[in-house]
Amino acid sequence: MSLALFVAWIVPLAAGCSVWLALNPARVPGWPAAAVGQGCVAGMLLCAAITALSARTDTAHALAHAGPWLTALAIAAAAVAWRRMHGLAPTREPQPAMQPNRWMTALLALALLSLAWRAGIALREILLRPTYPWDAWDAWAVKSKTWVLLGHYVPFVPMQEWLAHPNPDTYTSMAWAYPTTLPWMQVWFASGAGGWIEQLVNLPWFALWVGLLLGHYGQWRALGVARRPALAGMYVLGSLPLINVHVALAGYADLWIATIFGFAVLAWLRWLQTRDATHLGVAAAWAVLLPLLKLEGAIWLLLLASAVIYGLLRRRWRRRVVLGLLLALFAIAIFGHLKIPVPGLGWVEIARNAVDIPGFGRLAFSWHGAALAGILSSMFVQPNWHLLWWLAPCIVAWRWRELITQDALRRVGALLLAAIGFLLFLFVLTDAATWAEHYTAINRLLMHIVPALVTFLMLLLRGVKWRQVFRGTAPAFAARSDP
Amino acid sequence: MRAWKHPLCLLAVVTAWLAALGWAAALSGTTPLWPHERVMLPAHDFRVVMGAGVEDDEALRIGAIGGDGNALQVHALDQLSARDFPVLRYRFRDFPRTLELSFIFRRADSPEDIHATTVPWPGDGWRSVDLRRIPDWRGQIVEVGFAEFATGQLVPASAAFRPFRFDLAELDSLSWQGGLNALRASWFGYVPWAYISVSAMTPDRNTAGASSPLPTLIAATLLSMLLAALILRWRSRRLLACVVIASCALWLLLDLRWLQGFDARHALTEQLYAGKSWEERDRLQPDEDVAFVAGRVRDWLAAQPNNQRVLVDADVQYVLLRLIYLLLPRNVGIDLFRAGTPFPPDSLVLLYAGGRWQYDAERRLLGNGAESYPAERVFDSGPAHLYRIRRTP
Repeated sequence: MSLALFVAWIVPLAAGCSVWLALNPARVPGWPAAAVGQGCVAGMLLCAAITALSARTDTAHALAHAGPWLTALAIAAAAVAWRRMHGLAPTREPQPAMQPNRWMTALLALALLSLAWRAGIALREILLRPTYPWDAWDAWAVKSKTWVLLGHYVPFVPMQEWLAHPNPDTYTSMAWAYPTTLPWMQVWFASGAGGWIEQLVNLPWFALWVGLLLGHYGQWRALGVARRPALAGMYVLGSLPLINVHVALAGYADLWIATIFGFAVLAWLRWLQTRDATHLGVAAAWAVLLPLLKLEGAIWLLLLASAVIYGLLRRRWRRRVVLGLLLALFAIAIFGHLKIPVPGLGWVEIARNAVDIPGFGRLAFSWHGAALAGILSSMFVQPNWHLLWWLAPCIVAWRWRELITQDALRRVGALLLAAIGFLLFLFVLTDAATWAEHYTAINRLLMHIVPALVTFLMLLLRGVKWRQVFRGTAPAFAARSDP
Repeated sequence: MRAWKHPLCLLAVVTAWLAALGWAAALSGTTPLWPHERVMLPAHDFRVVMGAGVEDDEALRIGAIGGDGNALQVHALDQLSARDFPVLRYRFRDFPRTLELSFIFRRADSPEDIHATTVPWPGDGWRSVDLRRIPDWRGQIVEVGFAEFATGQLVPASAAFRPFRFDLAELDSLSWQGGLNALRASWFGYVPWAYISVSAMTPDRNTAGASSPLPTLIAATLLSMLLAALILRWRSRRLLACVVIASCALWLLLDLRWLQGFDARHALTEQLYAGKSWEERDRLQPDEDVAFVAGRVRDWLAAQPNNQRVLVDADVQYVLLRLIYLLLPRNVGIDLFRAGTPFPPDSLVLLYAGGRWQYDAERRLLGNGAESYPAERVFDSGPAHLYRIRRTP
């Protein structure tokens, strides 16, 4: 590894971790994992932002232009983090009363070892194979490759504009409207690699996977999940085949959306737990990034923001909001259409027979039964998600009392239900059905909510006395048992 | 009665699993355990139609592929009833992971039609396929064969072939043995990466015998637990423990299967790219012919003054999009999206294998039926031709 590549990796990691610790100085259980995991992802996105601002005229030397700013940020954030962490005592966890079962420990160790094994495979796969998945070269890498090979930024415009203005420094592409966050991040790593080396440019997807797992593990621990169940949850998330594929065949934006949405939900949960406004700010920051990564992220931002805002409202205002939504639906039914501004997308126009989404086009409403079969097959038959979608309803049925008694879980559950409802609406009731029938998009959109779903399930299982369960002495439907 | 409960429970669970596996393999209680009839097809009886092969005792050593990158061996049959022989078994040795295997056959009712379907990668041992899953496997079969070619969407033709040995093939009557072997191959067989892999873990091509074990395993587990709970009169607490343990075990089993597949897919990547420089890896693309043409066009464009715009068209969408990517950082656009807008003066048009356009060399006109432009051919590379539009009409 060259020194430049080493710097290209270490500086974002240091900056991300420092910023994370400056914002989250409390030494709660799992804080090192949360700092490394979420800091790693934050650092990669920070380097994208700073590269976009400072290296437009000289992308080949993005490291030299953006590096000092990122280093300065890392140092400043580290100083703040040190100041804020200094003197804060680590939060002590109650020690488990019983010794852990040796068999379960051994099994968990094997499961975690399998994570290391697949990490090795994924890393080698990225380092060996040139960019493979279709959209990776057709959409996501087009801008970054152009900017890196030209040595400077050029704008991408729609085809008609490109034809109308014969400026040789204006480019076009099928994905001209796609957000540029990931392309700018690729520019940074290409600069570190010394040129457009696809394998090294795709390496952040591996770091993203590590960040996803560690970030979730750390935050689950902070949310009161014991160490072993949290490790088991990390294995569950890390073993999902389609997530593994998105790491090994790097280049799509979906895993980024899944990770960031998962992080936003975790930060929201931390805020619900502690009422510390910093966590709400972190949740907002993660959520705002969603449409900057992929246009579909705007939908998740909208749903998450709605859930958070709804939770902030007083009870009577909640009724008014629901009434307002019903009135909006009524207006669509009567007047034919309604325009809603969606951050990241623009004005979404909903009519009686279609929805017009900027960047996606017009999706007509009609029933598509075959798409429902495609969705069910993707979730319950194909080996995309192991047993996740089978177990999720079973765990909800088993731990329903937790849902009744814990407001935070109810809110996350409602958010996930709304997200699944949106996907069902999109694929079963609009022209987008073919994406589910041919399995081209359904699983990737499901992936966006999978880390948040695993978080929801982990928190539902938080109070389970596993030793009693395995001995057959735990009541099947226990009363609520908060840690 | 109490003493019999546990053996009875064991018997019920085994029966449940056999029933589930039999259901998954479409077998019934009347299906014989072993095949009653078998047609042996020794490899040396196969005729090499494409590529080159020599007999090696009863086997056939395939040492070369044909000019089009395929190898093909066929065996004529004397009107064999497809219904009576629904299980295909085959054995190859040293079969390279870079190749894909297709089973082909002809029927007496349409001898001019060749039916082909991808079958599980053979590896070094026996593999079985349940041919009942191929809708065209019916009537009287007059010829069977195997075709080998570079794995689609994945392996560059230049790096695909290595010599291998074809030992034997058999067509068996239906039996539990054959059915379960075919089920095993369909659950654990190697499925290569494909473009669909990032969207769903399902084979991209018409593959005989590639299925998910998930529904069967879940059905068998649920049935086993239900029977055990009834026979052993489990209380809800005990049942909960069993459900949790079974869920963990099933997850680990599915994950082991996935890891085995992940490892097998990666083995091909190692074989193709390990130990090579970045440049060599970059050249080893599945579409190396397109990459070669794009490289030549890119070099020609780089030698021209100004950053000239190029509109690209090709007869295949994949080729068109790959050309666009491989031509970067040249200023390229998709001609199809022009939607009738006239070409700007001095535009360059790159056509790969024709696209929608035709060039009249005599009149120096580039047309597609709806539009026609005076154009000059300025560069050629294989199936790709680059034209310069002289002026708009």
